[in-house]
Amino acid sequence: MDAIIGRLATSLFGRPIAPCYSSGRMASTSHVRILRASDHPNPVRLVAEGLTDIWSRRRLARYLVEADLAKHGANTVLGNVWWFLDPLLQMIVYVVLVSIIFARPTPDYPLFIFAAILPWKWFSSTVTDAVTAVTTRERIIKQVAFPKLVLPVAATASGVVSFCFGLVPLLGLMIAFYPDRLSPFLVLIPVVAAVQFLLTLSVAIVLSAVNVFFRDIGNVARHALRLAFYLSPALYSIDHLASKPTLQQLMWLNPFTTLFESYRNLIYDGTWPHWDALVVLSVVAGACLLAAIALFKWLEPSFAKVL
Amino acid sequence: MNASSGEPSRPATRAAGGSVDAPPSSARADLPAIEVRRLGVRYNLRLTRRRTVRETFWNAFRRSNGPTHFWALRDVSFDVPHGETLAVIGPNGAGKSTLLQVLAGILRPNEGEVEVRGSVSSLLTLGAGFDQDLSGYDNILLAGAFLGIEHADMERRLPGIIEFADLGQFIDAPLRTYSAGMRARLGFAIATAVEPDVLIIDEVLATGDAAFREKSKARIVELMHAARAIVIVTHDMSWVREFCTRAMLLEAGRVVALGDPDEVATLHEARSAERQAQREAELRRQLGAVI
Repeated sequence: MDAIIGRLATSLFGRPIAPCYSSGRMASTSHVRILRASDHPNPVRLVAEGLTDIWSRRRLARYLVEADLAKHGANTVLGNVWWFLDPLLQMIVYVVLVSIIFARPTPDYPLFIFAAILPWKWFSSTVTDAVTAVTTRERIIKQVAFPKLVLPVAATASGVVSFCFGLVPLLGLMIAFYPDRLSPFLVLIPVVAAVQFLLTLSVAIVLSAVNVFFRDIGNVARHALRLAFYLSPALYSIDHLASKPTLQQLMWLNPFTTLFESYRNLIYDGTWPHWDALVVLSVVAGACLLAAIALFKWLEPSFAKVL
Repeated sequence: MNASSGEPSRPATRAAGGSVDAPPSSARADLPAIEVRRLGVRYNLRLTRRRTVRETFWNAFRRSNGPTHFWALRDVSFDVPHGETLAVIGPNGAGKSTLLQVLAGILRPNEGEVEVRGSVSSLLTLGAGFDQDLSGYDNILLAGAFLGIEHADMERRLPGIIEFADLGQFIDAPLRTYSAGMRARLGFAIATAVEPDVLIIDEVLATGDAAFREKSKARIVELMHAARAIVIVTHDMSWVREFCTRAMLLEAGRVVALGDPDEVATLHEARSAERQAQREAELRRQLGAVI
């Protein structure tokens, strides 16, 4: 795989990507590192460097994820049970809120919102963790040269694990209470999740880098996430807005409209997801990811000075 | 030389997995391990200074508000051949740590050029990447991954690191149960176990108890004999005189003297004493004014 990346780089730039600055390799005795004042950064090169960074340090990412998961619920009585309990309790809160207080008549409402809460929890907790992913590693960033891009990537990857744990209570809920809603479409969940992963990773990378310079990001993100949740069709369906066609159109600009509706197609309705919207979203999210990597790599050299 | 370095180090990396202990290839042995040419490092004060939002807004309106840049290092040039130990000395704030950060690849130069031949290990502060909740064993693996050591290589070195750190059963206990000395021992063991071509050390020799200090001294002397280049920042002039082959005196980001360790150390001591005397005289004058 390294060889493939090397060849790819050679064909893209006419020369191999030397680990020029941040990816010094210990084990090699024959390796020269030249550091000089940076010239104007080339976005394509930044992206290529970023992808090499992630691939060459996948083991570091794995260790960081493992350390993160080991800590989850480490000092609690119930420990690992919280993996399953957390999303269930959150669902119950919304069920109580919406079905009792607002008395909105949607059949099988718990399943209806569970299909949206699960992916939302994944997104919001990943974003919250990723904001501080770089800044909490301040000490080692100042003392060891390593690709910092690994940090938001690891934060996002541990979010994937908790999302997968959340699928277990979802299945349990369906088998126990809504067996008639079980459908083969459930196996398509990873496809929608992959699109969401691209989007989550781009947001995580951008915020982790910007937070180094503006520590206010954490506070802003908390409220922005809450607002985004209510603006997305999580507790309601986009069909409920049929009386306001303009608003409904605008809602489709929100990536989570596509995601939530698609998850709900698979889990709640048992139909095909919105393929057209999903394809558009995955292209946009992919482009965002490349831009995010370029931005991160561009800011990365300043981290050690600013932190 | 650049023709050979232009080739990717990737295939070599694999091959080197088993032969890291071999001395640097003969082709490079005559070239210095580190070459620094007119290095300058600049800090942007607007970004670095922690400010409140109000200050940020004020500064946006009054743009020319004090100096915007600060040169931590300027016009620094030197070589470190293989087998040499260079001591970097100087008063606080002279730019010593910044220099080490550049050599370790953590900071990028704003001016000039730095060339480092061979693998680098930095002991800038021991145990920087440690995770309090992981065991000593897991922390060794994590530190190895941060340093970018190949996994197979790291596994081969694990027994040696564990033995050198001498933690007994604590190796499986979470790091937060460790004493400061144990942590320093583990950090030192990891950083020196990787047998780098270039070792960068910042004031870490005074850690641990007397026995470990002796052991670490012996280890560094061993690394020096293995034809590795070492750059060390220290305030301990006896170390400079005893173990270093050259010394460089930095003041305010510029090289004041570079040469024989004894002479440079003596110069540094003389200048420090002079500054101290000036400070005392100034203090006495101020005190006199108050009284």
